Amino acid sequence: MKGAVPTVLLATGLIVGGGAAWLATSHHSASRSPVPAEHFMPPPDSAIPKTPFGDEVRRGEHIFREPAIYASAFVGNQLRCSNCHLSAGRLAGASPMWGAYVAYPAYRSKNGHVNSFEERLQGCFRFSMNGKAPKLGDPTLVSLESYAFFLAHGAPTGVDLPGRGFPKLPKPPVAADYQRGAQVYAENCASCHGRDGLGQSSGGRVVFPALWGAQSFNWGAGMGSIKNAAEFIRANMPLGLGGSLSVQQAWDVATYMDSQVRPQDPRFTGDVAATRKKFHNNANSMYGLTVNGGVLGDPAMTPPAGTIPVAASSAAPAPVQSE
Amino acid sequence: MVGAFGVHRLALSLMGALIAGNTQALADDADVLAGRRIAQQGVLAGHVGCAACHLENGAGQPDVGIPRLAGLHLDYLDQQLSYFASGQRQNAVMRPYARMLDARQRQQVAAYYASLAVPRPVEADAPPLPLLEQGQRIVEYGSADADMPSCSQCHGVSGLGVGDFSPALAGQSAAYIAQQLTDWHDGSRRDPKGIFMQAEALRLSHNDIAAVAAYLAALPAPVSPVSVQKDLPR
Repeated sequence: MKGAVPTVLLATGLIVGGGAAWLATSHHSASRSPVPAEHFMPPPDSAIPKTPFGDEVRRGEHIFREPAIYASAFVGNQLRCSNCHLSAGRLAGASPMWGAYVAYPAYRSKNGHVNSFEERLQGCFRFSMNGKAPKLGDPTLVSLESYAFFLAHGAPTGVDLPGRGFPKLPKPPVAADYQRGAQVYAENCASCHGRDGLGQSSGGRVVFPALWGAQSFNWGAGMGSIKNAAEFIRANMPLGLGGSLSVQQAWDVATYMDSQVRPQDPRFTGDVAATRKKFHNNANSMYGLTVNGGVLGDPAMTPPAGTIPVAASSAAPAPVQSE
Repeated sequence: MVGAFGVHRLALSLMGALIAGNTQALADDADVLAGRRIAQQGVLAGHVGCAACHLENGAGQPDVGIPRLAGLHLDYLDQQLSYFASGQRQNAVMRPYARMLDARQRQQVAAYYASLAVPRPVEADAPPLPLLEQGQRIVEYGSADADMPSCSQCHGVSGLGVGDFSPALAGQSAAYIAQQLTDWHDGSRRDPKGIFMQAEALRLSHNDIAAVAAYLAALPAPVSPVSVQKDLPR
């Protein structure tokens, strides 16, 4: 195992001579792509060892690709981890797991303390998956952590790896605009994600994820930040044609997407204005603002947070009855 | 590295195929009947209909790369015919036939083939397992080092396609799939939605193309749309 990974990388000629041994050059063909061409390369699937640890890595990968099937007790929408962490957490510029794994423990302003990698994963379930956070040490988190650890094989810790997260995006030439965003959406996004943004399925399974509505991420998720969404979109959307939208178009369409109805922020205090002040007090969040005559986050028009399917919740350990 | 997960995936694919309802708007029977006449006889005296190559049951001739049309999405078929007619999709064989049809007739013949049950595929030699495994990897996982999304991200893990955007590939002719990918790779196929496929195909080697085509052809084709269960008058 130890030797297998570098051998594979060498065999494909991806190791860059000299400098940091973990850097490799990818085949990013789109010259306009904002993703750095030189970045860490995770080991291939074929390098997953046939050991108990390897089994855990595979379980993690299954969860990552099909959380609604393999982690149903914690998932409240129809998204998959791999909808945003493209190529199942491998793709540079799409928040790859190898970049995240080596960046923890880290202080996060989102909750004001140092988070372990596992705690960071809890946040994904609570916000992006609009579900329930597994308890620390839960097998679901152990599997996902094992998968991320495997992908980060050979990467240095404490280094901001090129290709980690989403590529930084300059401010838009003119202020981002909802109406222009709607136009960008109709022309570039709607054929896959649907005019209504609710995604599309085939054979009973979601193919194109919902960008808003009850089956999408909730108001607490990172993708609800216009800045994050614009960075992701510019680097990765339309799928396979990353870098084809302009900086302005990316900001406009991100503004459009993040001005739609989506599930409630699970940190909702009971008051939209207070929740905005406490958790969304910045220009990148539309929460609590009025769009098309409605206040985003208003419970009257906002699907609930933390919904998990009845079947999944009844399969979870029964809560202790107090009466 | 298919292993247990691969088997599971195949089971999922099967499940997906079984529950695949007919989500497209059902064309009315009059359209389907008119479309069948076009398929059987063509529209110009002295010229054959679609069935001469694609067969009346829409099975196509997978071995020589003539695609199956049975059960494909009505809007997809209609759209491709118009691309052939306008030359946006370049194909020397299909162009003259598509040009014989007016917009209404294209719709009818699309309705006919979309309404057909998927015929049982003819037994063919199974492709070598390593090729299928390579194909499965690309279809399901794409390639992170080539910055290539997986095929399944648009066509679905079961290869059943989505509406008129991404056609069903499961059980389609391997020779046909390989030819289309090669055409995109070489830049000789450029219909309006081809920008996606061209970007993908450029990241595939010829060997990858063969593997992807073999794997997709081996996936179970969708089950029949509901509309064909009733017998149409001959």
